[in-house]
Amino acid sequence: MIALLMAHKEASAELLQHVQGFIYPNELNLLWSVLIVLYPYLTGLVAGAFIMASLERVFNVKSLKPIYRLSMLTSLAFLLVAPLPLLGHLGHPERCYEVMMTPHATSPMAIFGFVYAWYLMAVLLLELWFDYRKDFVEWSQTAAGWKRPLYSLLTLGVRDVSEKALRLDDKMGRIITIIGIPSAFLLHGYVGFIFGSVKANPWWGTVLMPIIFIFSAMVSGIALLMFLYLVTCWLRKVTVDMTCLETIGKCLLTALVVDFSVEALDWIHRLYVADESLDVLVLLASGKLYYSLFLVQMFLGMLVPALCLAAMIVYKEGWKRRQTAYFVCSLLVLIGILAMRWNVVIGGQLFSKSLRGFTTYKLELVGQEGLLMAILLVLLPFVIVSVMIWLFLPRAEMTGTTRAIDD
Amino acid sequence: MPPQITRLLLVTVAIVVAYFTARHFLVPASFGQYGWYRADALKDYQLLPINYAGQAACADCHEEVIKKRAKAKHRSIACETCHGPLYAHANDPTVKPAKVGNGNFCVRCHEAAPARPEKFPQVVLADHNPGQKCTECHAPHLPTEAP
Repeated sequence: MIALLMAHKEASAELLQHVQGFIYPNELNLLWSVLIVLYPYLTGLVAGAFIMASLERVFNVKSLKPIYRLSMLTSLAFLLVAPLPLLGHLGHPERCYEVMMTPHATSPMAIFGFVYAWYLMAVLLLELWFDYRKDFVEWSQTAAGWKRPLYSLLTLGVRDVSEKALRLDDKMGRIITIIGIPSAFLLHGYVGFIFGSVKANPWWGTVLMPIIFIFSAMVSGIALLMFLYLVTCWLRKVTVDMTCLETIGKCLLTALVVDFSVEALDWIHRLYVADESLDVLVLLASGKLYYSLFLVQMFLGMLVPALCLAAMIVYKEGWKRRQTAYFVCSLLVLIGILAMRWNVVIGGQLFSKSLRGFTTYKLELVGQEGLLMAILLVLLPFVIVSVMIWLFLPRAEMTGTTRAIDD
Repeated sequence: MPPQITRLLLVTVAIVVAYFTARHFLVPASFGQYGWYRADALKDYQLLPINYAGQAACADCHEEVIKKRAKAKHRSIACETCHGPLYAHANDPTVKPAKVGNGNFCVRCHEAAPARPEKFPQVVLADHNPGQKCTECHAPHLPTEAP
């Protein structure tokens, strides 16, 4: 115990050296760590991937058909991991069920539990089930080994694949997607709401926060699908459907422009209103967050991919080079949005409520909320989606109706 | 009704029943009796051992210290803030209270730190008469005077 206290004292002394100006004593250590950065990041990827799937299903963007199921599976895989950063952050993760057992209407996290459950059970699982039902019935008869009882179980005992039943499946899938779009907005808008409703924190407390979160979610979700589609095609040695890729690229560019506009609007509004917190926020952006905000989020994560994607609409030469460029763009956007979450969550805790000073955040390597845990939680959904692709996305489905432009 | 809808309704009913069954077993019986918490928690708290005696108990025997401290800025600090829990000592004076620090206990509040208000008395222990204990020059209950 004494050793622990001494270690804490030493750690605090080290942090104190990096404190600038005046902060209140309880502001030295950040309460929300890197895991809370991952929480909106992963939820955003879920919502973004689902909205991408809805483009094909509801808005009939047929060129996106090759990634419809990939979008749904990605959304599910990331949704399964999304609450884990929260659990890792809790001092007593084994008590997490209590928030669902005795939910209070004034608790944003309790309501988030129900929004999450609704999105998982009433939207994603249901839509996937209707979409896959015919395949489950077929695979439960043709698959070998342990996969056969698995697919059989997933049919839930309904083996009717008559034309009438399949028409109903399609209709139900469409209805659920229509319900799913506002649900996806609600899911991620809610995460933005949690930050936006902290009125004591000027970095977070803005009504634009849910909107910013929704558009950044769309940006990251589209980029993730672009990344996963390319990687899956390359690993499976399947021809990339360039029409599909081009459409994803255009969607990504549109989402990036809208996201940039909303964030710019937020800054213009802050600068024009110029309330008492503006000085510290400008110091924060130009100081502690300089690299993560201007270099990573704005330049590498937004400007470079936006220019690159815009250029690819004009110049249409060399499909191999285009694929590489799309891959790099998707990666940059994914890193940029991660930086955006970092800037929101960590940035919002770096300045004192006195608006007169800054504390610092030291990311630990190991431990419950360390860097290794964060890396593990980022990699975990990719492992889950790989297993899902292996189980539920046959190689033949990856190819679309159109082939590469100059293949 | 189509078979897939019937089956989904059954699954939904099973999930709802499972939720309320889990709720029945997992929510403590006294939850919600007085508010959004387990009412029996109050009884649990009452059973916890008492550690702090309170300022009035100290004044019963140590009035001269209280009077001395009343002249100092430390007057707003309760005895047990520095001396620790004294319930056992107040009940039985033969139980000796724990010793306060090793003579440099003061730096817990008075070591210089940027987070503290400028007017608050602060010292850098390494520069402020190093090697000496605070209590050699300052009377803890009236720090402006020598002990």
